[in-house]
Amino acid sequence: MLKVAIIGCGKIADDHLQQIHRIPGCEVVGACDVEPLMAEQLSERFRIKRAFVDVAELLKACRPDVVHIATPPHSHFALGQQCLQAGCHVYIEKPFALNTNETEKLIALAQEMSLKLTVGHDLQFSPAARRMRQLVRVGYLGGEPVHMESYYCYDLTDRRYAKSLLSDHSHWIRRLPGKLLHNIISHGIAKIAEFLYDDLLDVSAHGAVSPLLRSIGEDQIVDELRVTISSSSGTTAYFTFSSQMRPSLNMFRLYGPKNGLVVDHDRETLIKLRGDRYKSYAERFIPPVTLAAQQLANVAINLRNFLANDFQMKSGMKYLIESFYDSIINGGPPPVPYGEIVATARIMDAIFDQVYQGDQGGRADENSRRHHVAMID
Amino acid sequence: MNASQQAIDSRQLVLLTGSTGFIGNKLVCALQRLGFENIRCLVRPSSDLTQIERVSTQNGSRMEIVKGNLLSREDCIAATDGVSVIYHLAAGTGTKSFADAFANSVVTTRNLLDGVLRHNCLRRFVSLSSFAVYANQKNPCPGVLDENCPTESSPALRGDPYCFAKTKQDELVMHYGKKHGVPYVLVRPGVVYGPGKRRIHGRVGMDTFGIFLHLGGSNPIPLTFVDNCAEAIALAGVKKGIEGEVFNVVDDNLPSSREFLNMYKEEVADFRSFYVPHFASYLLCLFWEKYSTWSHGQLPPIYNRRVWAASWKCTRYSNEKTKNVLGWAPRVPTAEGLKQYFVSCRGDAIHA
Repeated sequence: MLKVAIIGCGKIADDHLQQIHRIPGCEVVGACDVEPLMAEQLSERFRIKRAFVDVAELLKACRPDVVHIATPPHSHFALGQQCLQAGCHVYIEKPFALNTNETEKLIALAQEMSLKLTVGHDLQFSPAARRMRQLVRVGYLGGEPVHMESYYCYDLTDRRYAKSLLSDHSHWIRRLPGKLLHNIISHGIAKIAEFLYDDLLDVSAHGAVSPLLRSIGEDQIVDELRVTISSSSGTTAYFTFSSQMRPSLNMFRLYGPKNGLVVDHDRETLIKLRGDRYKSYAERFIPPVTLAAQQLANVAINLRNFLANDFQMKSGMKYLIESFYDSIINGGPPPVPYGEIVATARIMDAIFDQVYQGDQGGRADENSRRHHVAMID
Repeated sequence: MNASQQAIDSRQLVLLTGSTGFIGNKLVCALQRLGFENIRCLVRPSSDLTQIERVSTQNGSRMEIVKGNLLSREDCIAATDGVSVIYHLAAGTGTKSFADAFANSVVTTRNLLDGVLRHNCLRRFVSLSSFAVYANQKNPCPGVLDENCPTESSPALRGDPYCFAKTKQDELVMHYGKKHGVPYVLVRPGVVYGPGKRRIHGRVGMDTFGIFLHLGGSNPIPLTFVDNCAEAIALAGVKKGIEGEVFNVVDDNLPSSREFLNMYKEEVADFRSFYVPHFASYLLCLFWEKYSTWSHGQLPPIYNRRVWAASWKCTRYSNEKTKNVLGWAPRVPTAEGLKQYFVSCRGDAIHA
C-alpha cells in the first residue's frame, strides 16, 4: 500500500484527493496546512486520519512514500526539497517552481536521492491528449513537429472575481515573478515544451493589461499574452493566453510535415487534419464530411468513457497520478520527462523577463522583446 | 426598544463585517435607526464603497471605514479593538469550492474571535448564519422548521460548500462561547430578497438547459425582505439577555413557490416552466446521489436527499421566537416587498 500525504489544503487539494481515492493500492495518511482549520476540514471531508500544521511533523509521523505539494508556488521549492530529503517521492502542483534555477536544483536532488518527481500538468493526460500522443508516436505527423499553437484562456469577465483576486494588493499571485501568468500558463507552455527537441530556442513575448482590468484600476497584472517560440531546427510555436477573447479556448494544435492534430481540452475532442488535398471541388465537400464524422466519433468516445465511469472532469489528473505511482512502484520513467519540466521553466522565465522586464514590482506596460533560451540539460 | 432592554449603550462602538454586501448596507441603516453613533465597517481593499458612503452621509452617525482582510489575524485584531458589538456578516458565498467557502467563513470568523479575545471588551458577537445549516431530513412532512430543529451533523454530505462552511462557522462560534465565554447570538435568515437580488431562488426551481424546472410546488418560500432581515440582525446585537440564542428570520404571509413563480412571470418576465412533483424531485435527487457515489463524483454530489429535504421538502417556517424574544416584526409586508423586488428585476430578468 503506497502511503500518500498532501501539503496544502486549499481548492486544488480536493481535486487531488478525489482522484487519489479512485486509485487502488494507495492510502492518504496525512494532510498538512499552516492553517490548522484548513487541515482539519480537509481531513474531515476526506476521512484522512491525521492533520498537521508542520511539514516536518507530518513527514516524521506518517512516513509517506509520496507527498503531493498543493501550496502556492513560492513554497514549492523549499517543500519539495524537504520532502525529497525525507525520502519521499514528490508530486508538485503547477507551476513546478518559481524559476529554472529552482527547477533544476529540485530535479538534481531527486536524481541524487533516487527519488521521483512530477508536476501537475494534468491537461496533457486527458483522454484526448493521450490519443494525440499515441498518434504522434505512430508517426501520424509524418516527422518532427513543424509548428504548434497552444491556446490557454482564463475567464476574468466576472468583475467580482477579478476584483477579489486582483485588487488584493497582498495576494500571493502578485509576488510571483510572472504574477497571474505565472500561476496559470504552465499548462499551455508545457504542451509546447513536450514537442521541442532542440537545445536553443528563441522566445518573443508580448504582454498587455486588458481593458477590463484597466477599467477596475489594475495596471500591473498582465492578462493578455502572445508568445512566439522558435527552435534552431526550425520548429515554431505560438502561445496565446487571454482573459478576454471568446470563445475562451483551451486548445493545442500540432502540425507535422504530413498531417496535423487538434486537441480541444474543453470539449475533450481530437481532430486529425489531413495534409493531402482532394482534387478540385472534392476538397470542398469531402473534408467537411470527414470532419463531421470525426466529431461524431469524438462524441461516441466521450459517451463511452462516461458510461465506463472514466470521464471525470479531472480524469487527466487521475491518469497522471496513477502513472506517477506506477513509475514509483515499478521503477519506470516518471510521466512528465524532466527535460520537459526544465524546458517549460526556461520558456516561462524568458516570457516573464520580457513582459515584466525584470522589474517585479513595476508597471506592466506593453512590453515586447526577444529572448534566447539555452535548452541544454 | 427602550434603554433598559438594551445590552449596550448606543454610543458604544459597533463593528460590521460584510457591510458592503446585500444585507450589510441595510444593517447600517437599521443600526442608525436604533441610535448607534459609532459604527466601524471592515471592508476589503477592493470593495465598492459607493453605497456605504451614501448611507454614511445620509445619516449623521460617525462611520469609520477600515480596510482590511478577515484572513489576516493582524487586521482582525486591529478591527476589533475597542468594539462592543460585532455583526459578522461577511462569508464565503457563491463559490463551488469547499476550501474557499470554509476559509472565507470559518477561518475569518476564528480570526475575528481571536481578535475579540485580545481586547476583552466585547459585549455581543452576532454571527450571521443561514437556513442552509438545518438538516430537515427527519422533520415530518409537512413540518415546522424552527430554532429547535437539528443542524446538519455531516454537512460535507450535503455537497454544498456554503452549507458546510456555515455549519462549521456556527460550531466554531458556539465553541468560543463555551470555552472562552464569548457572548454570541446566531441569526439564521431564510431567503433574503429585495431590490438588488435578481435570480429566482433555488427553492423555487432551477434553469436546466433552457427549461425552468419548478420544484417548490405548494411549499412556502421562507422569504425575508432585506430591510426586515437587517432589523432582526440589528436587534440581535442589542437585546439584553439573549446570549447563546439562535433566531430564525422569516417574514409573515409567505407565498408558496407556485404563487411566487406566477407573480414573477406576471410582473417580470414570462418564460416556460415545467413542474416537477415532489416525489419525482426526490427520486431524481436519490438517483443523482447514488450515481455520484458509484461513479466517484463523475457527476458532482450537488443533488442528494439532504439537499432535497433542505430545499424542496414541504415545510412551514416559524418566526415566533424572533418576534417574541427580540421584539421584531417585519416592517415591510411581503406583498410590498415582492412588489419592490419585482420592479427591480424588470429590465434584467434572469431566472434561476
